[in-house]
Amino acid sequence: MNNTTYFFILALSMLMLNSGCGTPARRIDPSSNQGLITVDDINFKDWQIAAEKGINSLLASSVLDRPNGRKTIIMISTIKNSTMQHINTRILTDKIRQAILHSGKALTTTALSGNGADDTASREVRKLEDDDLFNQETVQDHETAIAPDMSLSGEIVQQKTVSGRNSESYFVFHMALTDLKTGLALWEENIEIVKQEKKPVLGW
Amino acid sequence: MKNLLLITALTSLICFTGCQSTVNTVENKNKTMKVEEVDTSRISTDSFLRRRLQFTRVNKVEKADGLLMVQVSAKNTRSGFFDQLSTWFMGDYPYQIEYRFSWFNKDGMEVQTATNTWIPKSIIPGDTVHFKAVAPNPSCKDFQLSIKENVNARSR
Repeated sequence: MNNTTYFFILALSMLMLNSGCGTPARRIDPSSNQGLITVDDINFKDWQIAAEKGINSLLASSVLDRPNGRKTIIMISTIKNSTMQHINTRILTDKIRQAILHSGKALTTTALSGNGADDTASREVRKLEDDDLFNQETVQDHETAIAPDMSLSGEIVQQKTVSGRNSESYFVFHMALTDLKTGLALWEENIEIVKQEKKPVLGW
Repeated sequence: MKNLLLITALTSLICFTGCQSTVNTVENKNKTMKVEEVDTSRISTDSFLRRRLQFTRVNKVEKADGLLMVQVSAKNTRSGFFDQLSTWFMGDYPYQIEYRFSWFNKDGMEVQTATNTWIPKSIIPGDTVHFKAVAPNPSCKDFQLSIKENVNARSR
């Protein structure tokens, strides 16, 4: 075996050893851009960007202010998933709900949502009126829950385009705030996120 | 033969960099807007960012509902021939950055927000961009804009 062959085998072995090594699991900062990026999916950074831009737009619009000074009550309605992925839209609505509460401009109700009650406790505790285990004076009265003034709804749409080795996903996060008295949309916003990749000639 | 190769290579390079486009802007001279400008003496950038982005104005306005709204304007100054050449070489076209706003109350304490993430933005040479944000609640009186290069989004 001559020196060239020996060197070639050694280099190949080192390459195989190196490529066989993985990276141990690690925690990353959720606010950083160190997360995985995939074209077909909505990654955690995409949710954060959509929420941040949506909240900024909502607070800039001043629609949450009521002339009588009372805080607006908002229910979270449904966010329709029109993407090709199985996603939990709660990631988005929870961030917006928190931002609304932090703003001090409005309150959100958990007694009602687009998919039934977010928290069934408000209804359940009123069933205790016939339960002699509980002091009836501490049981919540009927007709005390506050009905919402507005609802937050939306839709997430994905359009995928493939051209040769290039692929692209266009995500639109549509959000709307509806005045439940009139049925009119007081605020609407579209947050667009486009992701693109070019696959290598060899490999995956 | 060697000279011919050199000329061809140089011509190709010039043609290639000539394909890059910069943004040209036109605006009205006599402005009607009345803005409250913020003293920009506290801008701190590294030399790399300073050579690419020039901060032109910082505006703020307190809305009727008490929320502070700020806008920071910056211009990508890499629009000359050699700048474009190095921009192409460095993969800076368009220049990819990320920004994040932090908010502080009257005591200087940072106010936690529901989302506080780096937002990506691309800036074409010659273009002016505006970073806008609304304070998460009325207790926010001061702000800080952080900008960094988005290395993951560079074209090379």
